[in-house]
Amino acid sequence: MKQRLAGSITAALAAFVAVMPLAAQPQAPAGGQNAGNGRGTTLGLYRNQPVPPTGPVVKRPDGTVDLSGVWLGGGSSDADISRALKPGDKLMMLPWAEQLVKTRQSKEDPEANCLPAGVPRGSPYPWRIVQTPSHYFILFEGNIHSYRQIFMDAKHPDDPDPTWYGHSVGHWEGGTLVVDTIGFNDKFWFDYMGHPHTEKLHTIERYTRTDLGHMSIEVTIEDPGSYKQPFTTVGRATLMVGQELLEYICQENNQDLEKLSGPARGPGGR
Amino acid sequence: MRAISCGRMAAIIFLISGLPVCAHHSGAAEFDVNKKVDLTGVATKVEWTNPHAHFYLDVKDESGKVTNWNFELASPNVLIRNGWRRNSIKAGDTVSVSGIRAKDNSTYASASVITFPDGHKLNFLYADEPGK
Repeated sequence: MKQRLAGSITAALAAFVAVMPLAAQPQAPAGGQNAGNGRGTTLGLYRNQPVPPTGPVVKRPDGTVDLSGVWLGGGSSDADISRALKPGDKLMMLPWAEQLVKTRQSKEDPEANCLPAGVPRGSPYPWRIVQTPSHYFILFEGNIHSYRQIFMDAKHPDDPDPTWYGHSVGHWEGGTLVVDTIGFNDKFWFDYMGHPHTEKLHTIERYTRTDLGHMSIEVTIEDPGSYKQPFTTVGRATLMVGQELLEYICQENNQDLEKLSGPARGPGGR
Repeated sequence: MRAISCGRMAAIIFLISGLPVCAHHSGAAEFDVNKKVDLTGVATKVEWTNPHAHFYLDVKDESGKVTNWNFELASPNVLIRNGWRRNSIKAGDTVSVSGIRAKDNSTYASASVITFPDGHKLNFLYADEPGK
């Protein structure tokens, strides 16, 4: 068994492209067709979950795609953003960024300190999209228990104050929701490895619900302050049928911080 | 290339090594997979909290000296979805725990498998043994 699992993990590590946890869905799948078939499956950390539904996506009264629900995954690799790169893309850091990655310590990771993971870093916890005519919201179960707001068909301010999630505006291109974000601070890390960014960071997220139970998420990252060229991460989110977001207040009892030691590294020590 | 989720990777690594991963920090930065512990004792307290649940165990050595160990679990949101309840382990329960000790050699560990006198088991992520 262990040998078989060891083989699985080797293959898994090699194939680890990343899925960022964004959220899940409590209500019955929109339209009710092709809902989970009742057989349990494992989704991320969660066992015995309903099999995600298939079938066509549902449109909202305004003609746009209904993205509502509780989703899991879809973000970039929490361990190492380079594992989520679109085939052919490269993560090419500027010299100062390369040097910084070599010196960062695990306990300095904002996420370990219960601070936001920014964009597009994933987590193992579900997330939810809520659509209103003027605003879309992404509600994160963790980490941290927070939210993003996307201003639909709006413009960025000329000089936004730098923030953890930046200033996001959204529009539809066919069946794809495109979210453009600027105004990030330079504090969050892209991953456990400590890949950095500057306030010049600009992200373009493309959310496409490919069927009722799945969503593809591509994020193009431009940061001329840290990287020689833009790159794109790819992920796939899965609908969690029958789930609600639960509370996750990371600041409550964070005993780990004083125990963390050593250089920034991935979850398995890589 | 097939994408694999952080959570799925976490589950695989946990099954192989017992190392907790994909939480809000690197498990490898906190625990040493080569420092395994196997202890039996009486639970003194349970903290059903984030970012991790904890339970504390009074462990008596051969000389009669009692040491209180702090065992870490996944977060309640993960545990609840995997069958745990906040009273799955309670103060006063006698349990045997296998786990992985913190790198600093303190009496702090990640709980891999918890075995009750009637034979039922819990672990870091699930309310039953992995793979069963």
